Amino acid sequence: MEIREAISRAVGLMQTVVGGISMVFAFLLLHNVLNVQVVLGVSGENIELYMWVFIVFGLLSVISGLFLFYEQ
Amino acid sequence: MDEPHLKRELGLLRATMLGIGGTLSAGNFIIIGHAASLAGYSIVPVVFICGIISLLTMFSYCELGTAIPRAGGEYTFVKVAYGGFLSFITGWFEWLSNMFYAALSSIGFAYVISYLFPQINIPLTAVIMVILFTIINIRGVKETGTAETVITAVVLAILGIYILSGWSFTQETQTSIASAPVGLLGIFAATAYLFELYLGAEAVAAAQAEIKEPGKNIPRAIILSAIVLIILYTSVVYIAVKVVSPEVLSEQSSPIAFVAEQMMGPIGGVLVTIGLAIAGLAATNEAIMAQSRVLYAMSRDGYFPKKLSEIHKRFSTPYFAIVVSAVLTLVFTATGFVNFVVYAVNLGFIIGFSIVNLSVIKLRREKPRLERSFKAPLYPFTPIAGIAASIFLLVFIDPSVLILGLELSIIALLVYFIRMIGYYRLRVAFGGISLGLGGFTSFLTYLIGTGFIQLNGVSPAVATIVFYVFLFVSVVQILAGILNISAPSRY
Repeated sequence: MEIREAISRAVGLMQTVVGGISMVFAFLLLHNVLNVQVVLGVSGENIELYMWVFIVFGLLSVISGLFLFYEQ
Repeated sequence: MDEPHLKRELGLLRATMLGIGGTLSAGNFIIIGHAASLAGYSIVPVVFICGIISLLTMFSYCELGTAIPRAGGEYTFVKVAYGGFLSFITGWFEWLSNMFYAALSSIGFAYVISYLFPQINIPLTAVIMVILFTIINIRGVKETGTAETVITAVVLAILGIYILSGWSFTQETQTSIASAPVGLLGIFAATAYLFELYLGAEAVAAAQAEIKEPGKNIPRAIILSAIVLIILYTSVVYIAVKVVSPEVLSEQSSPIAFVAEQMMGPIGGVLVTIGLAIAGLAATNEAIMAQSRVLYAMSRDGYFPKKLSEIHKRFSTPYFAIVVSAVLTLVFTATGFVNFVVYAVNLGFIIGFSIVNLSVIKLRREKPRLERSFKAPLYPFTPIAGIAASIFLLVFIDPSVLILGLELSIIALLVYFIRMIGYYRLRVAFGGISLGLGGFTSFLTYLIGTGFIQLNGVSPAVATIVFYVFLFVSVVQILAGILNISAPSRY
């Protein structure tokens, strides 16, 4: 059980961080911070769609990750 | 060791002042200007009609308040009558409406003050107000009730001076009210807009766990508040349109202060501004108290985290519920939008009023032996008329607010669903979602790796980084999904 707990905490932490980065990245993309739109070749027309995809993906990942991280 | 309880400290006078004080919001005197542009001179009957519509539902509040003497107001009534999702949605909207009302009161205060100090920052002033009254509410209901009584008495005295001066002024100047220049649609729109004018008296029912002899004092306080307010608002608006035209009224940032200045000179404007500013303080205080009590009751029933129903051992107040509500109020207050907040308040209360009236009908049928110190007169006409009038006004609510209402209903459904299905099932559901996301990301990784998806305009080095990021994310998501789904059921 201790091994499972350790794995859960580690995976939960990684998933939460991935989710958090995803949401931050959504705003970097929207405001073209560090010229990410050009670096990743994203067209301006679909920016809002990408933003929502990253936000939803990030939110779901954070919630799921927290479930794992706080598993007792 | 006994768990701390809310104390019964409010008598008839303080309970009545609570109802009047919560209703006499500075925001109400600001929105009169816009309502005058909608209804013209018909604003006078509109204000009276709003009072009558409100009174119809207040009878229901009185009946339910004496039959079910527990904290929580509408939410508690509907829980006893219907239970389940309907009580949750009532509490949800009651809580949100009070939040919007607190925001409106504080913004109204800031606008009123700006009449004397045009250089002030309106959202910032409103935010400071909310923080101040949050601290007062955490300190306790005794301090709150005493402050409320004093503040309301001062405001009533100032508005009394305004009305007396107005009667005298209009007698001397022989002004006359012309017929309404607007159609029925304008009158209905103004009624829907001014619906919130009388909101606040029902807060007496929400604070019933803190009122002495609730069987007697709750109906008396609610009806007394409603009657005083109908007379007061109708007189204030009648004098306003007798002194200046609705067109001029609608152009003022603080219409009543402007009218007072026309009647009594600069001192009149200053006096009314002080009165309305104090009213803004009282209403914000009241709304913060009411919303925290609803949140407290909903948390007590398990809809929200238990921490929100924790009572402060020293002050005997639901301090955590007060703080959480205040934080959300601050967000809406910081926007500084008046009309949007007004319609949002109205929407929530229209829904709440309709369900409260339905609860009276249901309890009369299903629990006829329930002890009621007060019964709504002319039953079933009063609750049915209250429902019909409320629903009719929905048609005239701003469409953007109706959309907001729909969105808030969806969130309410989600919160209720999460509460009902429990922790373990929710966790399994999120495990499934993670697996799905992991599978989808793996598929994308495969397509990028095999060259089926070309990243146009991206250098090979960046494309390689993207590939490994996707690979890492898919592994994490799949692992997380498996771990959540395989979680032991005791969680």
